[in-house]
Amino acid sequence: MTELFGYLLSGLVTGAVFAVMASGLTLSYSATGVFNFAHGAIGFLGALVFFELNVGVGWPAWAAGAVAVAVFSPALGYVLHRAMFRGLARAGETAQIVGTIGLTIALPALGLLLVDLVAEPLGLPRADATSLPHGLGPYPAETFTFGGIRLDSDQLITFAFAALAAAGLWAFMRLTPYGLRMRASVDRRRLATLRGIDADACSAVAWVLSSTLAGLAGVLAVATLGLDSTAFTVLLFVSATAAVFGRLRSIPWTFAAGLALGVVQNLVAGYADFAEDITGLRTAVPVILLFAGLVLLNRSKERVAGSVAEDSPPPDHLAGLPSWRRRLPWALALAVLLLWTLTRPADDFYVGVVAQGLVLALIFCSFVVVTGIGGMVNLAQASFAAMAALTCGWAFSSGWPFALAIGLGVLGATAVGVLVALPALRLGRRVLTLATLALALLADQVLFQVDAFSNGTIGWPLPAIGFGFADTTDPRVRVVLLLALIGLVGLLVRNLERSASGRAILAVRSAPAAATTSGISAPRTKIMLFALASATAGLGGVLYATSKGSVTATDLPAFAGFVWLAVVVLQGVRRIGGAVLGGLIAAIFPELLAGWDVSAHVGAILFGTGGMILARHPDGVLAQLAELRHRRRLRRARVVVGGTRPEPRTTAPARDGGQGLRDAALAGSPVAGNGGPEIRDVAPARGLFRLEGVVAGYGEVAVLRGVDLVVRPGEVVALLGVNGAGKSTTCAVAAGDVPVTAGGVFLDGTDLTTWPAHRRARAGVLLAPEGRGVFPGLTVEENLRTWLADPDPVYQRLPQLARRRGLAAGVLSGGEQQLLTLAPALIRPPLVLIADEPSLGLAPLVAEQIFEVFAELRERGVALLLVEEKATSVLELADTVAFMRLGRVTWTGPRADVDAERLTAAYLGVS
Amino acid sequence: MRRLICLAAAVALATTGCAAERAAGGGDAVAGVTATTIKIAGILTKTSASGYSTKDAEIGARARFERANATGGVNGRTIEFAGAEDDNQDAAKGDAAAKKLVQRDKVFALVPVHAPNFGGAVFLERTRVPWFGWATGPQWCGTTTGFGYNGCLAPAPGAGSQTWWGHQMAALLGGARGRTVYVQTSDSSGSKYGGKTISQSFQAAGFEVVGLNSGLPGAAPPPDWLPYVNKIMTSNGGKPPDVLVSIIAGTKFNTGLYSALKKAGYRGVLTDATSYDAAILRDPATAQALEGVIAAPMFEPFESDAPEIAQLRADVEKTAPGTTLTQHLAIGYWAADIFLKILQQTGKDVTREKFLAIANGGFSYANPGFGRITYPKDHTEPNGCGALVKLEGGVFKVARNMKCFDNVPLK
Repeated sequence: MTELFGYLLSGLVTGAVFAVMASGLTLSYSATGVFNFAHGAIGFLGALVFFELNVGVGWPAWAAGAVAVAVFSPALGYVLHRAMFRGLARAGETAQIVGTIGLTIALPALGLLLVDLVAEPLGLPRADATSLPHGLGPYPAETFTFGGIRLDSDQLITFAFAALAAAGLWAFMRLTPYGLRMRASVDRRRLATLRGIDADACSAVAWVLSSTLAGLAGVLAVATLGLDSTAFTVLLFVSATAAVFGRLRSIPWTFAAGLALGVVQNLVAGYADFAEDITGLRTAVPVILLFAGLVLLNRSKERVAGSVAEDSPPPDHLAGLPSWRRRLPWALALAVLLLWTLTRPADDFYVGVVAQGLVLALIFCSFVVVTGIGGMVNLAQASFAAMAALTCGWAFSSGWPFALAIGLGVLGATAVGVLVALPALRLGRRVLTLATLALALLADQVLFQVDAFSNGTIGWPLPAIGFGFADTTDPRVRVVLLLALIGLVGLLVRNLERSASGRAILAVRSAPAAATTSGISAPRTKIMLFALASATAGLGGVLYATSKGSVTATDLPAFAGFVWLAVVVLQGVRRIGGAVLGGLIAAIFPELLAGWDVSAHVGAILFGTGGMILARHPDGVLAQLAELRHRRRLRRARVVVGGTRPEPRTTAPARDGGQGLRDAALAGSPVAGNGGPEIRDVAPARGLFRLEGVVAGYGEVAVLRGVDLVVRPGEVVALLGVNGAGKSTTCAVAAGDVPVTAGGVFLDGTDLTTWPAHRRARAGVLLAPEGRGVFPGLTVEENLRTWLADPDPVYQRLPQLARRRGLAAGVLSGGEQQLLTLAPALIRPPLVLIADEPSLGLAPLVAEQIFEVFAELRERGVALLLVEEKATSVLELADTVAFMRLGRVTWTGPRADVDAERLTAAYLGVS
Repeated sequence: MRRLICLAAAVALATTGCAAERAAGGGDAVAGVTATTIKIAGILTKTSASGYSTKDAEIGARARFERANATGGVNGRTIEFAGAEDDNQDAAKGDAAAKKLVQRDKVFALVPVHAPNFGGAVFLERTRVPWFGWATGPQWCGTTTGFGYNGCLAPAPGAGSQTWWGHQMAALLGGARGRTVYVQTSDSSGSKYGGKTISQSFQAAGFEVVGLNSGLPGAAPPPDWLPYVNKIMTSNGGKPPDVLVSIIAGTKFNTGLYSALKKAGYRGVLTDATSYDAAILRDPATAQALEGVIAAPMFEPFESDAPEIAQLRADVEKTAPGTTLTQHLAIGYWAADIFLKILQQTGKDVTREKFLAIANGGFSYANPGFGRITYPKDHTEPNGCGALVKLEGGVFKVARNMKCFDNVPLK
């Protein structure tokens, strides 16, 4: 019994490290939508700093720990946010995964390189497997006994810090305004910016906090783990399990799951002797739990909050070119490559390198299928390749003919691919990625450890593929064979994209729901993609093994698959060309680096910087080349036309000087009838809001083609028009949600055009967006606090909200939600309130109440811009009416001038 | 920035082309051999993600080669040692490095090869290029070109397996009769294999093996040693065993396990293959945790008073003054020593075929530094020699000098 209790207690201590690590992971994921694979690497760097300060420089452990956790780690988090995560949050899931995987490799390398550089002059110890970091407590640790259970000082300190971190995190999130802002931007990022919350700053806070937690976990764990970055990656995977059990959302649950994992590991180590015969099974317990957790808990129907990223394909800038011109560079490169290859001797080293690059390219083609076309990120691709190679080796050694053995290997990989695809059908995309990660680790740790399958550490020998006149021991033969195979896969991919099933796949990728309603079978296409991709990877794996001459279980480790994905995505994962380029670079680049005699760390760091580039250009090098060419053409075209395009805002500042005042003087006249003297008491002639020649749109599609609009203080301007006229875009432009390409937005003569949404909100331009402007996950009280320091006056005004102050806003009725949206404005009126379809979906009585609020705000001098499709109700309130059509304001005038005829004309598009 | 990336990619490709041009030409009768020199290079795991490094082997080999050159070379030729490539503990990189050294740099042989996950074996065997080093992995065994300085350490079932560890330990403790042994490995097939051979070694010497546990996670030390320590402390019918053998790589693992065991009251013998490491002594707490441990190096300890070891120390001091002597350094040194011996016997007309014929034609060489070696026998089994070193009062002391014992067939 003491034994069991001992396992439980010391398991909790172990779990405390997992818990700290995992809560950082959950925090950053829920706040920014980026699952940070580099979380363990950040912990490693924190531990490295701690070690060098403590053991190297000789600082006391507490001081070194404080610097590593409270100074270094937050700073690192902030730098990474600025350099990378900020861009990644909008870059699409593939780029996010690849970017952070790049960091996992680059960060430890950077740290170790720096230590290598400064170790000699400063007399610091080098950080490697032999270095012996201390814990935070006394060294060597002291032991305490509690009722027969021994715990040492390091364990006690670990537990205490974990408890402190948990309490601190809870207090920060629940009790501080920063926490509230962060939760608000997690809940609805866009709305948060419209409320004046700087979502970017919130992300920064999240990364700083998450990085601090990683650093803390690193410092706590380093005494037992040692300075081994792989061990920290393993720690990350265990923590990911805890995060998944917290559903990647709930920090308390994550924390509890982390503690529980520690206990489970201890119990397995203590009692699961029956698992001894299956090598690796006990090590793999966290991974098995990860997989189970993903399948059972995360059948998410919706995208996780905060993931603003969309994976839409980049515009095809080369679409206008004839097909021969598109293929010309590739054909030329192919001809040069073949010519060069065939003139080299048979034992030429560089032909061998190119052949190796092409083997990788063939494997990389599988990423084009599953990720480029299917939009699913598969981290288990190296395992498929290894599986095929091992199966082939096993079959050949058991006496099968070689050709059949190859076939069996490829079939085996295909079958496993289908098996992987089955859970994929039910999982969301990020969850699928994690599931493939779990499978890859499981294959490494359990399946490939089965001696009968992998022949122990010896592996299987594989012969060369012979063609009678030549065989694949000659690298030139390999180059030709591989080029042919890649060409074949290229053809397959092209046919796939053009065929009915290919279009179905693309449909599933860009809009799963729409595809389903159109009768396209998403599951079938997903399975097909996985099968095709794993067959390709399997073939590549077999060729990889034959060119090496043998295959062992450790030749193609799971982590190689992560690196491969990164290499392909860096080049461009949507085209076979990206795979080929990626394969060649992966094989040639290390050779070059070795030739230049630079530290191996440099290669890893360069690779990681690739991730940062990806944050800015998520579609890879090839797409970037095409875009560059496109822009160059555009520029040239513009020069030819002679600059007819309107230059944005060059004249605006010049006009600004006096006009603000003049407008303010003018402002009196139309308002006078409504407002009376008290307007000037509350908002004395401030709040004149003006759009001037605004041109804006999405991408290269212009929606607004020169909108001019003026809203004066105490005036209600109703913006009317048919669907698609540009009303909502006008609102979005006014609030700073959509950038303008020409023209300007002014408040009291101040040019707001370049201001981000949250800054405009703080300056007094508030947008109540279409739908409901509430944070459904926050309580009523918290919703109000995002705009008001003290929500009590709201409760006095609107007692129905007071009764529900503790409820989540998402459970309120539509009318209550709209009241909640507008209520803060009643207490702290903005200068300008823009409401996009405020009465949409509300019962007439409730809508009336909403319009009463608007009337009151007008009384108090707020400039109101109301967008409505239903003209009648808003016309009762409006002072001025503006009609929009095809991105322009076609008529503006006082309400009195609006009659049925004008209204009909505006809506029917007759002018 | 974008332009830069594209440029970089283009330059990368172009440079390879240029480099290829440079390497063209050559094609002498025997690769790496001129009238006055023989070109040699090695492959080591200098850096790795886990921090494991065998880079000291380069110093060892260089020290041995420099002495050979200082005494007139071998049969009139000096050794042109081009240093060692780094394989990052990555099989593919090791393969690429072997190809580069053989095909581009035209070396005669690879010395030292000391990389736990070496991937170039098949290529070297196919191209008949000799390679010398520490044969810890099965890729060495059964080849005709891979020469482990102390034989093949991963024999296949049925081939000979070492018994020296058990016998040396029995001699040290004054007999094995009635003494119990517990073997701790980690949860990977490589480590389990090690556990099997070493259990057999202790059984052959007369010990009773009361436990063979492979529960430790392979990738990283467990944060909590309690379950493992509990098992050990009760393995001998509720009591702790007399000897604990640890087959886990890494000081962090061993210090963790030993400290936990000592705290739990373990008073028996601790022994492992990796603790003979001067770096341990630098850290007082680790030295304290490992105090009393008996390490089992597969070469004559540096503290020995054998003249061959004095020579080794002198050679290293001349090549790289102030170098700390390590296990990897000794491996590089002895691998080079054996290579030179075979080269000398090959005679003036050196070809790879002749070299291999001499080496595999009943070559036998005894040296107190590493025991004895006989090829082709030791292509498939270990040479069966080892020493014991005890960490006592913070310094290593020779407990048993290098001695060879007969192998027994691996079950």
